[in-house]
Amino acid sequence: MVGFERFPESWGLEAESFFIMFNKILVANRGEIALRVICACKELGIRSVAIYSEADRNSLAVRFADEAICIGPPQLAQSYLNIPAVISAAEIANVDAIHPGYGLLSENANFAEVCGACGIKFIGPLPEVIRLMGEKEKARAAMKQHGVPILSGSDGVIASAEEAREWARQVGLPVIIKASAGGGGRGMRIVRDENELAGLYRQAQSEASAAFGNGDLYMEKYVERPRHIEFQVLADEHGNVVSLGERECSIQRRHQKLIEESPSAEVTPEMRKEIGDILSRTLSTVGYHGAGTVEFLMDQERRLYFIEMNTRIQVEHPVTEMVTDVDLVKSQIMIAAGTKLPDVLHGPILHRGHAIECRINAEHPEKFTPSPGKITAFHPPGGTGVRIDTAAYAEGTIPPYYDSLIAKLIVRGKDRGEALSRMSRALEMFMVEGIHTTIPLHRRILADPEFLAGKMDTGFIERFFARNAAAAESLAG
Amino acid sequence: MNQKELKELIEFLKEKGIAEFELERGDVKMKVKWTADSPALALPDSRYVAVPPAPLPVPGAAAPVSAATKEEPAREPETPSENLHSVRSPIVGTFYESPSPGSPPFAKAGDHVEVGQVLCIVEAMKLMNEIECDVAGEVVRKLASNGQPIEYGQELFLIRPAK
Repeated sequence: MVGFERFPESWGLEAESFFIMFNKILVANRGEIALRVICACKELGIRSVAIYSEADRNSLAVRFADEAICIGPPQLAQSYLNIPAVISAAEIANVDAIHPGYGLLSENANFAEVCGACGIKFIGPLPEVIRLMGEKEKARAAMKQHGVPILSGSDGVIASAEEAREWARQVGLPVIIKASAGGGGRGMRIVRDENELAGLYRQAQSEASAAFGNGDLYMEKYVERPRHIEFQVLADEHGNVVSLGERECSIQRRHQKLIEESPSAEVTPEMRKEIGDILSRTLSTVGYHGAGTVEFLMDQERRLYFIEMNTRIQVEHPVTEMVTDVDLVKSQIMIAAGTKLPDVLHGPILHRGHAIECRINAEHPEKFTPSPGKITAFHPPGGTGVRIDTAAYAEGTIPPYYDSLIAKLIVRGKDRGEALSRMSRALEMFMVEGIHTTIPLHRRILADPEFLAGKMDTGFIERFFARNAAAAESLAG
Repeated sequence: MNQKELKELIEFLKEKGIAEFELERGDVKMKVKWTADSPALALPDSRYVAVPPAPLPVPGAAAPVSAATKEEPAREPETPSENLHSVRSPIVGTFYESPSPGSPPFAKAGDHVEVGQVLCIVEAMKLMNEIECDVAGEVVRKLASNGQPIEYGQELFLIRPAK
């Protein structure tokens, strides 16, 4: 990796015309995101090196990368999560940089540190920034300090029902009482009525004691029917940060996103600008580099509350790419190579049209049981405004060892109405045979009145299933 | 820009390891591009990587290759139907046939080896991992050369198991 140098003045050359790029990048991931990174490398003229487990020998990433190295058996711990194996592959292939994709090692600060120690550029933020954002309380404190609105939480343990009442009064109902020592819903109570607070506090305490051996409780402001709104940012290594707008990701099942879209009908241009400015200032001060996503909950009054930041490229990044025409992965690479944001973006961020993404999983569309196996037919839809990000192909096999995402179907239309009809059409024309997929589920959601009206929140899927179950019953009965 | 300045520019670019450079100024237009020293080969079928060996000084690198070919004729030729045992690398790294540069190799064709006997080293992240044999028998062939990059599961030795 070359540093930024000035030419001698007598040469009369502008230093700014100097453009540096990596020679070779190792893609430390698999599946569709590995392929995505390889696409960006190809377009930038950078050699790509794929690493793969024995289960991914016939994957498209391996096929299309310039070089490929087998690093272990199918199990994640011995292959994709095996830092020595990944680094060893990077060394023998003599790469300049590693792109970690999403998941796997992408938010592993230790891995980022090891890369640095081995003289390999980690395409992402600095290890200490990854660490900061990975610790929920520290991230909230850092954001709060810079004026990012956060969800109020108690400073530590709430020792008594009286303290709980006092805190609830300060912050305003509704609030949620949670067990410090655990999770999974145990030791949790939502308080909507002050008269019930003391009783609920005691219930939470005894449940927490029984479940975790520790009755300590803390409290948070509770948002009813929240929307999940996240903002995409890009930051260069020279202190410039820009926000590329939001994605609406409320359609989730068990905290796994199913459908994402942009823009959100609830985010006004003023809000977009205000949050964008705050995030730019904050992340510049924090010293953030690369692509990142800042997640918020939005309440019924359109107020945003910071939850956490993901210091990597996200699964749903194509949604933002479709409405802004910015290639986020290429941007990540250019930024890591030292390019300044104005040279990465070539102009202000413009939002045009409306984009929706459906995450298609190899799962039974009603039971959600994983459906690995051989794909016997595969014909993705095409046409205007349709994009497919996938590593699946006809006669290919989906291995059972990894997550079940097999394709992302993204559409763009001039407005939400066109995007909706385009997505319906594209889902209908997406042929996958040999395995179960969640395409039928997405088709039903795209026909759902609540979804079409755009008035959703994170409780949508539960209500949707209830509606569908009720409808099925009334048909049968 | 005169000849001297042009030469200085090219030296500067080379020194800094710039792969590609383009300049247009007035009626001067130049483009310089360095191809990689040794392009990596990706064998289309096996997906094996054959990248240039890691730049470690191995003065004896040339010798073992010729030594291996000299030893071959004296051995029994392997028959195609023979069930030879492959010793495969459990890790990604760089293959070294001897404990240190210049010292004799751990194993060569014709040697009798026991279970647990060290056959070679695969170096990963500066750690020298000794690869042990998992069968007793005779070394038929060494499949990797000194300094060669090795992927997980790659065949290193063919052993004829003892009966």
